[in-house]
Amino acid sequence: MEKEKVLVTIPAYNEERAIGRLVREIKDCYPQFHIAVINDGSPDNTAQEAESAGGSVFSLPFNLGIGGAVQTGYQIALEGGYDCMVQIDGDYQHDPKYIMAIIAPILSGELDLCIGSRFLSPDARFYRSTFLRRVGIRFFAILLGWLTGIHITDPTSGFRATGPKLIRRFAAYYPMDFPEPEAIQIAKRYGAKIGEAPVQMRKRLGGRSSIRYLITLYYMIKVTFAILIDTLKRKE
Amino acid sequence: MQVKTSVILISLSIFLLVIDLIRRQKITFRYSFFWLFTCAVAFSLGSSPALVDRLSSLAGFTLPSNFVFFLLLSFFIILSLLLTLYINEQNSRTEILAQKIAILEQRLKKSERQSVSPENPGS
Repeated sequence: MEKEKVLVTIPAYNEERAIGRLVREIKDCYPQFHIAVINDGSPDNTAQEAESAGGSVFSLPFNLGIGGAVQTGYQIALEGGYDCMVQIDGDYQHDPKYIMAIIAPILSGELDLCIGSRFLSPDARFYRSTFLRRVGIRFFAILLGWLTGIHITDPTSGFRATGPKLIRRFAAYYPMDFPEPEAIQIAKRYGAKIGEAPVQMRKRLGGRSSIRYLITLYYMIKVTFAILIDTLKRKE
Repeated sequence: MQVKTSVILISLSIFLLVIDLIRRQKITFRYSFFWLFTCAVAFSLGSSPALVDRLSSLAGFTLPSNFVFFLLLSFFIILSLLLTLYINEQNSRTEILAQKIAILEQRLKKSERQSVSPENPGS
């Protein structure tokens, strides 16, 4: 497994408090992986913190949003000929210990997209999140289950790994804001094999979720709509 | 009755056209949201003239037709404001990109010169 090229992409916007620690933790766990920190036009010291921790920093000249940052990671993975790309949030919420669990099915060729789910974890130290967020996750789980026939317990999770087939696709087209549930539907349309692996999530260190209050409603409508429209696109 | 059917038909066909444009990745949801919203409003107003009457008297218009013209005008004003916003955003992004490219090009030339000159002074 040492021979496979794995890229760890960390989209980060104003994560100066967490990014250094996260990069060092990943390097400790997996010294063989390359780490690409996509600094999404942060005005704070995200780039310097990530650089001094030893990550390769790609600074976008302006804020593209989470989708644009992740897509940059896919382009780096495509250019570098990586076998697997793992995406992990820059706010310390995802524990890098679990990277191996989500890339194993990709490297073995069993899956093309493996999503880290906080709800599958056997150790029920349940991650607390707001009621609205849990309702949102449940809603997208049901919607995607209904449309794709795949039951995903945590469709909004940004802790996920993709194989070469989807890296090529996502480098060319990736949804822009709140892309996670939509990316699952797109992957399904490309005929990808999709699955989940149990992970644990921690309390975020600094940064704020990009999904709050009234914007939640806009995102719910937007993402539902986007997923529905994507089902109208041609299957491949 | 004829007005009702034509309003419904036109708003419905614009709605479907916009959805088809999103489907073919010619337009993103962010830029189509306003169009879809307006189509929904036009559709609901077109399908119930009583609603137009009620809303126009509520807004203080004597003639419901004036109210419809007012809505149309508002649509175009808001649309042009949104377009101005988008253009400004694109403009500032292009400026930043051009500046970044200029800086990169200068750095690349400098490092090329430094790496070439010691071994191969002729080139």
